[in-house]
Amino acid sequence: MVDLIKKNAKSLQESLFSSVGSAALTIATTYLVINFFRGMLGFALTSDKDWLAVLNNMQLYMVQAYPEEDFIRVWLSVGLTFVLAGLSIGIWRSDDRVKSSQVFNSFFKGGLGVLFFTIIAPTNSSFMGNDGSVITEEVFSMETRLGILIPVAIFCVIFFSIRFININFTVNSSDMVFFYLFIPVALLWFIKLPTIQLDQNNERIIPDPVMPIADTTKIPWTVIFVSFLASYFIGMYLKNIKSIKSIMSLSWFLLPLLIFSWIFKKPQIDMSVVLGSDLPIFGAFLLWGFLVITFVNNSIFKKYYSTYLGLTFLLTLVGVFSGLPMLAKTCLLLIALFSVVVPAVSTSSQGKRSLLIVWAVALVTLTFLLRGGASDTGIVVPGSSIFGGFSLTWLLAIFGTYVSFPLGVLLALGRNSKLPIIRIVCTGIIELTRSVPYITWLFFASVTLAVFLPAGVEFNLIVRVLMVTAFFSGAYFAENIRGGLQSIPKGQYEAADAIGMSPFQKISLIIMPQALRAVIPTLVSSAITAFKDSSLVTIIGLFDFLTIGKTVIGNQSIPVNFVGHDRENLIFVAIVYWIFTFTLSRRSMKVEKKLGLGER
Amino acid sequence: MSIIQTKDVKKWFGDFQALKGISMDVAEGEVLVICGPSGSGKSTFIRCINRLEQHQEGQIIVDGIELTNDLKNIEAIRSEVGMVFQSFNLFPHLTVMQNITLAQIWVRKKNRAEAEEKAMELLERVGIPEQAQKFPGQLSGGQQQRVAIARALAMEPKIMLFDEPTSALDPEMIKEVLDVMKELAQSGMTMIVVTHEMGFAKEVADRVMLFDEGQLVEENTPEEFFNNPESDRTKLFLSQIL
Amino acid sequence: MKNALKTLSFFRNVVFLKWASQIVFLVGLLYIIWSYIQNAVVNLEQTNIAFSWGWLGETPGVSIAEGMYTLPNSGRQMIQVGMLNMLRVTVTGIFAATFLGTFLGIARLSKNYIVEKTSTGLLEVVRNVPLLVQIFFFQAFVLTFPRLEVFDVGTYNLHVSAKGIAFPWFNRQPTAYLFWVYLIAILILANKIYKWRVQILEREGRETRPFLWSFGIFFGLLVAGWYGGYRVMGVIGFLAGYISTGVDLLPAIFYQILFSSIAVFIGYRSTKKFIDSKKSEEAQGIYSDDDYFKIILNVIVVLLVVVLMFSSVGLGLSNFLVGDELVFKADWGVPQFFDGVNNKLYWNPEAKIVLDAQLDGMKRADIIDWIAVPGTEVTKGDVIARATAKDLKGDLNQEISIYAKYTGVIEEVFVSKGDTVKINEKTYDIRVTDSKPLELSRPRIEQIGTTKFKKYADGFGKSLSVGYFAIWLGVVLYTAIFISEVVRAGIMAVSKGQSEAGLSLGLGRGALLRLIVLPQAIRVMLPPMGNQYLNLAKNTSLGIAVAYPEIVAVGQTLYNQEGQTLPVFLIWMAFYSTVSLTISTIINYYNRKMKIVER
Repeated sequence: MVDLIKKNAKSLQESLFSSVGSAALTIATTYLVINFFRGMLGFALTSDKDWLAVLNNMQLYMVQAYPEEDFIRVWLSVGLTFVLAGLSIGIWRSDDRVKSSQVFNSFFKGGLGVLFFTIIAPTNSSFMGNDGSVITEEVFSMETRLGILIPVAIFCVIFFSIRFININFTVNSSDMVFFYLFIPVALLWFIKLPTIQLDQNNERIIPDPVMPIADTTKIPWTVIFVSFLASYFIGMYLKNIKSIKSIMSLSWFLLPLLIFSWIFKKPQIDMSVVLGSDLPIFGAFLLWGFLVITFVNNSIFKKYYSTYLGLTFLLTLVGVFSGLPMLAKTCLLLIALFSVVVPAVSTSSQGKRSLLIVWAVALVTLTFLLRGGASDTGIVVPGSSIFGGFSLTWLLAIFGTYVSFPLGVLLALGRNSKLPIIRIVCTGIIELTRSVPYITWLFFASVTLAVFLPAGVEFNLIVRVLMVTAFFSGAYFAENIRGGLQSIPKGQYEAADAIGMSPFQKISLIIMPQALRAVIPTLVSSAITAFKDSSLVTIIGLFDFLTIGKTVIGNQSIPVNFVGHDRENLIFVAIVYWIFTFTLSRRSMKVEKKLGLGER
Repeated sequence: MSIIQTKDVKKWFGDFQALKGISMDVAEGEVLVICGPSGSGKSTFIRCINRLEQHQEGQIIVDGIELTNDLKNIEAIRSEVGMVFQSFNLFPHLTVMQNITLAQIWVRKKNRAEAEEKAMELLERVGIPEQAQKFPGQLSGGQQQRVAIARALAMEPKIMLFDEPTSALDPEMIKEVLDVMKELAQSGMTMIVVTHEMGFAKEVADRVMLFDEGQLVEENTPEEFFNNPESDRTKLFLSQIL
Repeated sequence: MKNALKTLSFFRNVVFLKWASQIVFLVGLLYIIWSYIQNAVVNLEQTNIAFSWGWLGETPGVSIAEGMYTLPNSGRQMIQVGMLNMLRVTVTGIFAATFLGTFLGIARLSKNYIVEKTSTGLLEVVRNVPLLVQIFFFQAFVLTFPRLEVFDVGTYNLHVSAKGIAFPWFNRQPTAYLFWVYLIAILILANKIYKWRVQILEREGRETRPFLWSFGIFFGLLVAGWYGGYRVMGVIGFLAGYISTGVDLLPAIFYQILFSSIAVFIGYRSTKKFIDSKKSEEAQGIYSDDDYFKIILNVIVVLLVVVLMFSSVGLGLSNFLVGDELVFKADWGVPQFFDGVNNKLYWNPEAKIVLDAQLDGMKRADIIDWIAVPGTEVTKGDVIARATAKDLKGDLNQEISIYAKYTGVIEEVFVSKGDTVKINEKTYDIRVTDSKPLELSRPRIEQIGTTKFKKYADGFGKSLSVGYFAIWLGVVLYTAIFISEVVRAGIMAVSKGQSEAGLSLGLGRGALLRLIVLPQAIRVMLPPMGNQYLNLAKNTSLGIAVAYPEIVAVGQTLYNQEGQTLPVFLIWMAFYSTVSLTISTIINYYNRKMKIVER
């Protein structure tokens, strides 16, 4: 043990006090950092802050005005996400193992951190009252300090001394996820965060019997945690099924669509329409696709394929401008595109089977979305929009990326194209979009876009924001992907040409996979930027996560007066954003390392 | 019957004329070696044969199909002409097996099992069946070039073009690639090889050609070419290279 | 079968397909754009707000919280204020962020554990929280402080209130412009001296102490300049006066031809250079489509400049950019420019004394007592006279003090007791000489007239409004963090081998950094640095969230007034594109320069 301390002390001395300048720098920085944290703690703890303003408004933060009787939809969505996550972690379970000593060491370090903050926390702190006078008060008494110091110190000592007892075991790093999630879920059962109300004299009271906030959420979270765990084990079991990974990827792709249509609408579906119109159309197009796939290699059909294509396109053109139901029109467009792709793709019987699955899934999704979209919603929200708070932020982030990514790929290809007109148009779109700040595009969406739409067509503001976001992040994605495209050597194009691949095959099988892999880090950081930028919608008056914290709660006077407590809420908002972006960037760094570039 | 016919092929890069009227015939099953100093247009010429470069004047007829702007003709020729590059140009994101099966599945529309069978057969032919599941980055240069040959052969081409296949290789790896090429030549494949490997030319070639400044300077049998060259340019070239 | 393949049908021709598909694409795109424009025309007709630029000339009837004019007299002026406010944040922000970012970047490479961890911690916090949240937080932090009204009138060292932050600052005296020019001149001189000494060092191989020489001369000249030497530069203003008179006589057509020929010359030269570069060995005279478009673009730009120069559109544009104030006429402001130079850079510029504050409705004041006579030395803020202020009708009398706005010796006084003076910033009533170019002064709180409202006095110390403080600190910190990453990556990109090679040559640490590491690191750093500057410029648009009147906020105010959303959007687009283009041009210029260094 003495050796250990000696060794540490030596390395510490080398890094901190190697020279007079270094020592001075160390002392100055330490002084600054400690004072900064003291200031922050003092700022957070003075009596003019009201942290209940944050705690009391969790529901508002998460879903804003979403009706409580439909919360089950939200919970189911969250649950479904966790189930999918559990399955994925199980299927992609890594073989990395974490040593027990590493785990204990991280506990020890965490404990030390708490000790550090407890020791440096200021006893007194002051703030300026409304009359300009400085008020000083005790914010951190000795009892509280000791109350934290002693147990944490014991905790630290335990995890420090464990390393001298030889307990050596390793934990799978995937399993650790469940452990870290288990802690907050377990805490929900023990920690009581009371809701406050006002009595007749406008004094704050905590109503009896105590109604902890966590009460409404602890059971759903527990259920979700259990199903998360269960799906993890199922995932490990399913691991060896052949195409399970592509099925999972497809599910992840479809999940947001499902969730958002689910939360957005409680479709009041007219079953007679479904049976009378949707089902026949669905069936007919399924059969059509099936026939095309089956007979694509048939020599007679092959001979007249261009005639068939021409007829299909003609039919589509006529159909789109006719009075057919929306579903039929969209399906016509889809089958026309599908017919173009099929001869390039379908080959073996296995390829045909997967094509048929893709076709069926696409049709089901389309039918579901169109019927759901056309039906009335059963969810009544007092405000203007169903989405609010964190759910809106999430919607903007995920759908922004969702729509903009394919657009980015197309724009990048266009900008890299050999065809001058297409290249110039794409370059123009990218550069014009990027030349102005996001906020001006948001204003464009909120006030100008409506001018350009045909009379009678109106979109919800959220949809309009998603439209411009698609273009804006699409342009940024395009620039990133273009970087990847430029890194592909010319020989790759030539090799693909030389083995007779069509341009479509060349791009989708050879060029794009390599280009995307080369730019994964920049793509992730663009997605993170998009997530952070979604907070800008607060300026055009959408009720996202930030708006709730900054404006809604800051002006809340019913049931309890929280006017002017926006600093606490801003800190909370910042912490939540921080947790998400920090975790995401760390994960992406790990994935990046794992992918390596060794394959090239 | 000649499988490749070119008549007065000319090509310019801007003001620079790379090919100044090349006319030649290649018979089926013939092995033709093209040599010449760098910048003499030899690579450009064979790249014109499968339309990686576009010639501006003259005619190129491959297996009775003339190379024009016709989309179908270009597709048809590319599927009959295999090409091996100086820098291998394997697809780094795919395994060796996938590299070889890819075009069979997507262009030739074979099913996967058939394609994999063919791929294994070819890998055995080039002598590296055990590397099938590796990525190109994990192979040596010579192995990569052999995979590239297998990839081209998988398309069952009638003609194989080799664009300096050994120039990017370490000396000890050149032999393994040349052995594969010799075996291929003996099996009766029509080949046009751009190379500086004079040993290979002497041993395998039916005819040797010398390009200089975009022109065909000399065309001869290997014996004549090396022992009794007609033009002074060839003598100079041989004195520099041997 | 093979014969069938030989015949060439046009729909299988690659060249035909290539162009046909592009034309179809273009026609489709144009059709979509056209249909949207049709929609816009129909929709605007229905709402009775026809697309127009007329509002640019009308008085908007709203005030701006801060900027060059707080009560703009036209939409155009209002937009100018917004542009200037935006540029104010951008330009100062770029310098501050570069400085802070470089510092943080080096700190992150420090071997000192605490320094490295602290800067990394700061990075992780700032980078992972949305900029808007940070800006809101800075705003909320300042707004915590009490209103200005609870504080007493008087002078403070550092003052924070809900109105903003005020601190001591070097305020500009009338001779400041002269001093800035002088400073730039001696900086250039110092640089030249440094190069001259290095040249001698290289030629004769003896120690010439280039740094000591140039710094010594710079410092000596700086001291001399501070004590009056800077007036040498007044010769510029002196000459400009004559040039102004001279060029005033030239007809408008002269300027039009002059500017057009300059444009044609530059366009010709750059195109020729480009074509020459294409004739080089490796380019082989091959022109890609892009190269043709570049040449065509060059021609179009030159033509556009010429057309603008001779058309009313061009005059309108210049009028828009610089406004009526400088009376931009067909001469494109050349005489006015020299007039301005003459005014600002004369060796004895006129100083002005400003009457106390803007008083509500007060237009004139009668001088009742004049304290400062010629020959007295006044300090900024001294009371130099007392007066009674009154409104237009002459009612509402109120006694006010008149303060000196600049420090110096009073040379001439043009007013005396009993005179009536206008309360207006443009009154030249006395002349002050011998003033220092910059004057350190402390912030003052003053009462606005008889009202209970207070404000930080103009020209005393520096006061930052809450919005300016929040947006400035926000973008600077945020950009600095990203710049620190750029700097770190740049220095790390210069491989260890390079440093070792340098050390093995016997170069000292300083020389190693200056001659080997930095030139290479800067080359790697410049392009991403430019991207960060572009981001900074765009991020200033968040000022709208904290009520800082930059171009987006001003634009929003304007279209709320006039309903003209489309023109405002076009102005935004043009403005931001111009700023982005300028920044990237500057970065590209340095990038090219660096690349030449590499060769």
